[in-house]
Amino acid sequence: MFVSFFYNLRDRGIPVTPTSFLRLQRALRMGAIRSLNNFYVVARAVLVKSERYFDIYDQVFAYHFEGVELPDFEDIELSEMAKLLLDEWLKNPEGVAAALGVNEEDLKKLTPEELEQYFLDRIKDQTEAHHGGNKWIGTGGTSPVGHSGVHPGGMRVGGVSQNKSATKVALDRRYRDYSQEGPLTQSQMGEALKKLRRMVPAGPLDMVNVDKTIYQTMKNAGEIEIVFDRRLSDRLKIVLLIDNGGWSMDPYIPLVQTLFDYTRNQFKDLKTYFFHNTIYDRVWADAARYRNSELITDFIKRDPETRIVIVGDASMAPYELMNEGGSIYFGERSRKSSIENLQFLSQTFRHCVWLNPASRYEWSGTWTIDQIRKVFPMFELTLDGLDGAVSHLMSRN
Amino acid sequence: MVQDDFYKFRGADKYVLDDELAEIVNVSMALEMPLLLKGEPGTGKTMLAYAIAESLGMPLIILNVKSSMKLVDALYQYDTLTRLNDSRFSDSIRDVSNIEEYIKMGKIGQAFVSDTRTVLLIDEIDKADTDFQDDMLDVLDQMEFDIMEIDKTISAKNRPVIIITSNAKKDLSDPFLGRCNFHHIAFPEEDTMRKIIGVHFPDLGREIMDACIKTFYGLRKLEGIEKKPATRELINWIRALKADPDFKLSLLEQGNVPYLGVLYKKSPDMKVANEAIARNRE
Ligand SMILES: Nc1ncnc2c1ncn2[C@@H]1O[C@H](COP(=O)(O)OP(=O)(O)OP(=O)(O)O)[C@@H](O)[C@H]1O
Ligand SMILES: [Mg+2]
Repeated sequence: MFVSFFYNLRDRGIPVTPTSFLRLQRALRMGAIRSLNNFYVVARAVLVKSERYFDIYDQVFAYHFEGVELPDFEDIELSEMAKLLLDEWLKNPEGVAAALGVNEEDLKKLTPEELEQYFLDRIKDQTEAHHGGNKWIGTGGTSPVGHSGVHPGGMRVGGVSQNKSATKVALDRRYRDYSQEGPLTQSQMGEALKKLRRMVPAGPLDMVNVDKTIYQTMKNAGEIEIVFDRRLSDRLKIVLLIDNGGWSMDPYIPLVQTLFDYTRNQFKDLKTYFFHNTIYDRVWADAARYRNSELITDFIKRDPETRIVIVGDASMAPYELMNEGGSIYFGERSRKSSIENLQFLSQTFRHCVWLNPASRYEWSGTWTIDQIRKVFPMFELTLDGLDGAVSHLMSRN
Repeated sequence: MVQDDFYKFRGADKYVLDDELAEIVNVSMALEMPLLLKGEPGTGKTMLAYAIAESLGMPLIILNVKSSMKLVDALYQYDTLTRLNDSRFSDSIRDVSNIEEYIKMGKIGQAFVSDTRTVLLIDEIDKADTDFQDDMLDVLDQMEFDIMEIDKTISAKNRPVIIITSNAKKDLSDPFLGRCNFHHIAFPEEDTMRKIIGVHFPDLGREIMDACIKTFYGLRKLEGIEKKPATRELINWIRALKADPDFKLSLLEQGNVPYLGVLYKKSPDMKVANEAIARNRE
């Protein structure tokens, strides 16, 4: 029963580990779980590590425990569980040993086959201990937390919520909102971009340098001389290039605007430029792409450590990217093809990324996206994508 | 600010404890696992640690995580400057040749050497980098650490009750999550919020409570706000209203919102809210 509950959670995409499952069984064995309501709450805290999965948890829970008795364990499931545990053991012996409450060194002496058998036996022990007498379901409070003497007391739990059954609570789907990945908000962007910094000494000398102080003091034959340093502050240079033209970017305007607002407030040394579809000889500092333009070739004068972030859907007609003079604007007679300009950027600056607001699934099949991805690493404009982009921008090479 | 501290010192009698949360705290203690709490700002994550400490009668030790923090800072500090000073002006009561006299315990260290079991709150873990997070859990798993300078191992006399909070929307690393129990504190429903406001303002009249709650939850529904007002802002706002001799309930009922600046800290948010309020009044 528990085992199939576990599998169901995994099948629905919740990353539940066997170790955490064993931990849950340990909680049962200790008598720390007194009722199905209690089980609902505790199992979630032990197995599910993000509110994003709470809604799926509720659905699986309701499906599993709606008016059910405890059926028999199926041996097949248990042996699969033992295999999983073996996998986990290979990755994280310490964690598995701790969850089983055994010594890691003892287990290391066993062969994989012996280990698997051992795990199987342990799982059977643990599950059977709760199986016989419906020990936990509905017995409300017969084995209060703490009876095992593991910890003194515990917090008082009121009686109100106990009136509503756990499956009913689960069916309320209280966490539905958390499971939806809405558009990125500024604070989420902040979260993802937080690591985009380079700390270098700047400002007044107001921090004691202990090592140098000791050294100087010794040099002065014990006469104390305290040495001060400057504090570290953020000096990362960033250039943000945004595609703000054309109907294909329209659906993403709020998203890109959020990114723009956030970065403008957060980074001291940030330059933003605009382009349409792709980059030719020039980019513009004004959003209308009309007044202040700068030659891409002049970018060579910039610090090569500058981080280049390009935002656009990278979708256009192939000739716009590949042809000399491919710009769709009449007045803009480019000398080089756009792809050459892009290559120039990626060769001049070690740290470049392309952020694409379109979902990954839409990328394949767009020819220009494939070409641009050969020049720049491309990331989705989502939390995970930003995370990847930031690690790339901050990597050492 | 000052007002926040004022409330924090009140402890558990000022805290409305959710049953689910109490159960999770209990089982985490039984399993001897740290409890990781997430939730938007102002959902009472920090307050909870105070409440646990008070209700269990244990001392509370708080480690406020900073982005520049190194793990060793949380374990112990070796006060080299004082030692240097003592060695120069030998009028101190300390024995300069004994390094141990210059070792001070950090917050985790204090929890380990305490003679009684403590509640250890590790507040805002998301501010630190992943290395800090993982190394810290190693120490908390093993319940011991080494002081290199004096070649000594500090083992926990009592395993503290560990509460970790995070404001991050993003999840922490998998190894980290694997070693904690987890709970997400949802923003309180209106009923719970009434109780919370009730403990902060026991003499608040029914009508004004209704009007404030209605206005507040109305404002929380506004789109395009970066930092929605939360419990802390609501409490401060009600305090501001109560302190204003000219405040009348009818103002709220007409759709006015005095002291909007107490609810919104960012000026773009203020602007959005102001426009919405003006529209609402029309
Ligand atoms: N359940 C509650 N009972 C009583 N007061 C509460 C409760 N939840 C929140 N509050 C009040 O709301 C304010 C914010 O709480 P707290 O500082 O604990 O939140 P937090 O989740 O730690 O926020 P942050 O993420 O900003 O640190 C406090 O003034 C506290 O008094
Ligand atoms: Mg807090």
